[in-house]
Amino acid sequence: MTTETMTPGDAVRIATPTARFSTRVDTELKGLLMALIVLCVLAALFAPNFATTGNLLDILRQVAFTGIIAYGMTLVIVAGEIDVSVGSAIAFSSALFGTLAGPLHFPLWVAALAVVALGAAMGAGAGAIRAWFNIPSFIVTLAMFSALRGAAMLMTDAIPIPILDESFQVWGSGAVLGIPVPVLIMLAMFAVFATIASRTAFGRSVYAIGGNAEAAHLSGIPVQRTRTVLFAITGGLAAMSGLLMTSRLGSGTPSIGYGVEFAVITAVIVGGASLSGGRGSMAGTLLGGLFIVVLSNAMVLLGVNSYAQDVANGIVVLLAVLVRTGVGIRERSRDFVEPHDVGPRRQ
Amino acid sequence: MLPTAAEPHAQQHPIASGPAIQATALAKSYPGVQALKDVDFTVAAGEVRALLGKNGAGKSTLVKILSGAEAPDAGQLKVAGRTVDRFAPARALALGVATVHQELSLVPHMSVAENIFLGRWRNYRRHGLIDRNAVHRDAARVLAEFGIDLDPATRVSKLSIAQQQLVEIARGLSFQPRVLILDEPTSSLPASEVEILLRAIRTLSARGVAVVYVSHRMDEIQRIAHSVTVMRDGCHVDTRPIGDASTADIVRLMTGQSGAEAASRRTARAVGQVALKVSGLSTTSKLKGLSFEVRAGEIVGLAGLLGSGRTELLRAIYGLDAMSAGRIEIFGEAPADRSPQAMIRRGVGLAPEDRKKEGLVLDMSISRNLVLSSLHKITRRTMLSPRRQAQLSHDAASRMSIKLASLADPVRALSGGNQQKVVLGKCHAAGVKLLLLDEPTRGVDIEAKQQIYSLLQELAAQGTAVLVASSEMEELMLLCDRLLLMKDGEMVGERNVAQTTLAEVMVVAMGGTDPR
Repeated sequence: MTTETMTPGDAVRIATPTARFSTRVDTELKGLLMALIVLCVLAALFAPNFATTGNLLDILRQVAFTGIIAYGMTLVIVAGEIDVSVGSAIAFSSALFGTLAGPLHFPLWVAALAVVALGAAMGAGAGAIRAWFNIPSFIVTLAMFSALRGAAMLMTDAIPIPILDESFQVWGSGAVLGIPVPVLIMLAMFAVFATIASRTAFGRSVYAIGGNAEAAHLSGIPVQRTRTVLFAITGGLAAMSGLLMTSRLGSGTPSIGYGVEFAVITAVIVGGASLSGGRGSMAGTLLGGLFIVVLSNAMVLLGVNSYAQDVANGIVVLLAVLVRTGVGIRERSRDFVEPHDVGPRRQ
Repeated sequence: MLPTAAEPHAQQHPIASGPAIQATALAKSYPGVQALKDVDFTVAAGEVRALLGKNGAGKSTLVKILSGAEAPDAGQLKVAGRTVDRFAPARALALGVATVHQELSLVPHMSVAENIFLGRWRNYRRHGLIDRNAVHRDAARVLAEFGIDLDPATRVSKLSIAQQQLVEIARGLSFQPRVLILDEPTSSLPASEVEILLRAIRTLSARGVAVVYVSHRMDEIQRIAHSVTVMRDGCHVDTRPIGDASTADIVRLMTGQSGAEAASRRTARAVGQVALKVSGLSTTSKLKGLSFEVRAGEIVGLAGLLGSGRTELLRAIYGLDAMSAGRIEIFGEAPADRSPQAMIRRGVGLAPEDRKKEGLVLDMSISRNLVLSSLHKITRRTMLSPRRQAQLSHDAASRMSIKLASLADPVRALSGGNQQKVVLGKCHAAGVKLLLLDEPTRGVDIEAKQQIYSLLQELAAQGTAVLVASSEMEELMLLCDRLLLMKDGEMVGERNVAQTTLAEVMVVAMGGTDPR
């Protein structure tokens, strides 16, 4: 396609990128989808009971608990930040809910709202510290990782608090039209965050900040405010996921959620997000999460040693990033080459 | 042979009898431009030579060759009579040529002493471990020798920019060179520190060290240099003793014009209300008591040398830096909220100095970059409207005459000139009526430069107030109606372009006195 100067007379073009630029994100997603399909086919062929309804629902349910958080985490990572506290936030929300609904006899809905609201508020606090004191998000959320787990244990004396109300179990274990409630919530979150990412000013700001925070700031994007809200989102989502897990267990448990942050982050990275920010999509995160869960599900059904599963997980993440980096390097070599630039400022 | 722990300050570069550095018929070209053409450059031992020339004159290329950073395409370079066979910075240092660069390259978390001897710690090894005390002792000695009042143990990140520049200079001095090249060494130095540097140069000169002083600050040059070399268009124009070089002479040599040409004609533009009014503006770092106005329809230029405070002024107006005194009124109001978001809502836009780092999100599409400051304009019922975005970005792209294949391409795919138009287009799309521009045509090809000038003139004709800072005085003479001349953070003059000449502007900006 030849370049041309646009004139006011041109019809309004629905902008589609020139061929060499449109390939990248689409190819990555298509590649991931292909890989997932191949994996499912292989699993169906070789892993006993893989293709049964029960097993597939199990897979979806497993994806759901991390998936709910993963869409919020996608925005966080696209913005160039990270939140490693979500697992501990799950434990904290479970412990708090148990404490409120159990010994303190709060009505279930009130306790649930309080837990989610507090989760979001604490996240906002972490986000504010990151934004205004310019402390890297890894450090702030690492501190929360430690503190929230400790608080959960403290609150419950490290013992689960049973929740006797049976209607509560519906949230985590119930199903609507055969689809588990957590899965429905996850799909709803997917739709919500996909919309936020592509169709709202907030989502656009997140991508701009991740791409170049300084340019975003000078262009009038409210960088600090956006950063604060991002962590409120993951805080709230972690609390929600914690409630669903609590419901399945029937008790406020301070020992759940171990490793969730890494499962979530892994799904986002395999899905195509870059830790340095500016790249990532909800569809990618969904496929990435599915891929990891299907893989580990198949390995369990095949009787693979669980430690070997961890090794496989690690290799998958590394491969996913390596493939992407390789494609990226090839892409960059096709960037516009400037005739000799004027050098650093003189006079 | 570098200093050892035993004899760290051994004079290892004995003064030769001939010239300290001698370049003959140097030539160097880069793709698309001949940077140096047949340049001779010789400096004697103990001589302080000032090197001047406009942007693109070839000064920086010459310095790169002398300092070993680049090899010439043709010609010969001799240091103390020895021909330079291999061009590498380490080789230059070994031959006794030390360079203090314009851009600071210090390690912030290390001490002054460690930075001075950066890369030379090996010489302070005792039983395999670095003798920190020896490093500090030697650093203290260098600093004391040249009267630089800094504690060698201080972490560099705790120092002011001026102090950091002194550390860079101390580093150059610590090499005990026979040739010291200083590239704009005083751009961040206040008067007292400039004194320290000038004294250090006198000390070196007395010891027989040749000094090459790249700068345009005539007041300093007239105090310290023995002679002056002027370059223009890649050629050596003249070298003369300082006594024969008034600022006016230098400017004539730099521009190749007698300076008496009339400014280019331009059609008069209607000038409207006051868009920007600055009164007594001062900042803690640089600016001192600036006062001026810019009206709608005017193009006002900020002219001055490196370090004169142009960028600082634009940043202060846009709210990025705090004011320590004074008042800024934008369209008649002095807003309390000085965030970029508020500025844009008020109709103020900034095209920053470094468009890749501060002006564009390179991986995002051209369309998204164009609407980045206008998200509130394309939002309908809390959602971004793709149709409005397409319309707004298409309008901005065609208005700015951006050469592109598709609006959905990432902006990194565009040439520098077109990228700069995207930055301008972003401001235009946001409805900016007071446009602040910092070096708008740096790294932009000739054709795009002309287009950007026309663009700015059209915007002004439609009522936008334009304030442009540039290190290229010719550009400002071409583009602006009025010039504000800055020096060391102060406004030293104001000129109507129609009533002044390039030469006059340069003379005022460069300072200095007529020796006669």
